Amino acid sequence: MKVFKAFEYRRGSTILHRIDPRSKLVYLILFTSLTVYFTNPVALLIIFLSFLPMVYVGKVSARWRQSLRGSLFFIVFIFIFNFAPAAYYSGNLLDAAVSAIAMSLRFLNLISVFSIFFLTTSPEDLTQSMVQLKIPYDYALTFNMAMRFVPTLSREAQYIMDAQRSRGLEMEKGNFVSRIRNYIPVLIPLIISSFRRAELVADAMESRAFGASKKRTSLYVLKMGHNDLLFVLAAVGSALVLFAVNMLL
Amino acid sequence: MIRVEGVTYSYGDGINALDGVDLEVMDSELLAIVGENGAGKTTLVKHLNGLLKPQRGRVIVEGIDTMETTVATLARKVGLVFQNPDHMLFAETVEKELSFALTNFGLPPDEIAKRVEWALIEFSLSNYRDRSPFTLSGGEKKRVSLASVLCYDPQIIVLDEPTTGQDSLQKTRLATTLTKLNRQGKTVIVVTHDIEFVADFIPRVVVMSRGRVIADGPTEDMLVRKDVMEASSILPPQLAELSWKMGLNAPSINADMIVKEIRQMLRGELK
Repeated sequence: MKVFKAFEYRRGSTILHRIDPRSKLVYLILFTSLTVYFTNPVALLIIFLSFLPMVYVGKVSARWRQSLRGSLFFIVFIFIFNFAPAAYYSGNLLDAAVSAIAMSLRFLNLISVFSIFFLTTSPEDLTQSMVQLKIPYDYALTFNMAMRFVPTLSREAQYIMDAQRSRGLEMEKGNFVSRIRNYIPVLIPLIISSFRRAELVADAMESRAFGASKKRTSLYVLKMGHNDLLFVLAAVGSALVLFAVNMLL
Repeated sequence: MIRVEGVTYSYGDGINALDGVDLEVMDSELLAIVGENGAGKTTLVKHLNGLLKPQRGRVIVEGIDTMETTVATLARKVGLVFQNPDHMLFAETVEKELSFALTNFGLPPDEIAKRVEWALIEFSLSNYRDRSPFTLSGGEKKRVSLASVLCYDPQIIVLDEPTTGQDSLQKTRLATTLTKLNRQGKTVIVVTHDIEFVADFIPRVVVMSRGRVIADGPTEDMLVRKDVMEASSILPPQLAELSWKMGLNAPSINADMIVKEIRQMLRGELK
């Protein structure tokens, strides 16, 4: 559950925090595409290394590392499930290991790039930039709220697990099927309380006159500055370089 | 018996939620743990059934070090009822909700049936046996959550904020149930910041502030100590406040005692 914490935005004043979310969105899309497109582990490793200066500049290295540590389980899982079948069918252990490493790195890169984006972009700015990108406000707000409630949900899941373990529920007990069944006493309260919370939030929003006027205006409007354009150029430039490097490898 | 020795615990945010807590609870005691929000009360009680393990110090429950056993084992001895019943209830009917813990502990079916029956009657839930717990009112849910723990007969009962959102009738009923269980020899620990509830029903109080125990003793002595009440930002009981304002020599949380002292004062002044 700690893994969600690693995506929680906290106020910061580094250059990376101040970059326009739309510029960072370009960076996010480019590097996500490259990560998905590349298959060479060396190229993927270079992308991974390129995140190091980013987390350093953004001063989010502690929580970025936390997100990596939190996803360790999935990485091991991905490695094993890529390695085992490939090794079994091809018989070539080296090839199997290389492709399994590439898949694990790919996952690491995705976690990192999303983690950098969400750790340095305030939810309000993100909503505002979505609105300015002509996405209807309702959708932008829905997205923002979904993100905002992830940590709340994970905290709630923890409370529920504590309560059920106190009633003698052993989550890790039994075979695969009964382990899944063990989650029912956790999932049902979690789902019900989520619905209840959604209703509460809707009431709270309506009592604050949500949707009262058709045309919304904003107190703050995002403007692209020099730094923001430079950031886009740098992102496009480095993506092209990475692309060329991948061709050469 | 419970012994908490120098327990320190941090959630990893650089603040010690518990900062060297010592506490001893004898068998069949009835006590309250009070303190401001974030004082560490809930963190402390989560140590009693092993949900949290001490990072420093140790917790010994009935002779067992909590480090060396599982939550499921400790849960049989220590029944922990959480503040929000919505975090507990999940079954289709109240009856199934009550038998959940009993089934987890592997009791035989006839024993389960017997205990469910007891709990339904004890908490006046018989009429709701086949109802879904989600359709019940707040107070009824609270009773179901209480019953679902008490039905497996734990020796130590810990309740986290049992009075939140309860009207005065429900509070009195709860107090009656707790006192009764305590008379039957159970150890009962109530975590609360409902100070009037403590003043009225609970003989021993442990005051926590910022992860430490700052006072521990008989309720009538602790709740009239101005320094303790201020240090823990607890709203003192009204009678204690009255005693202080009138400048009584022996502040009290007992109305009769106060009346007696005022009488003496008046007689003294009239002389």
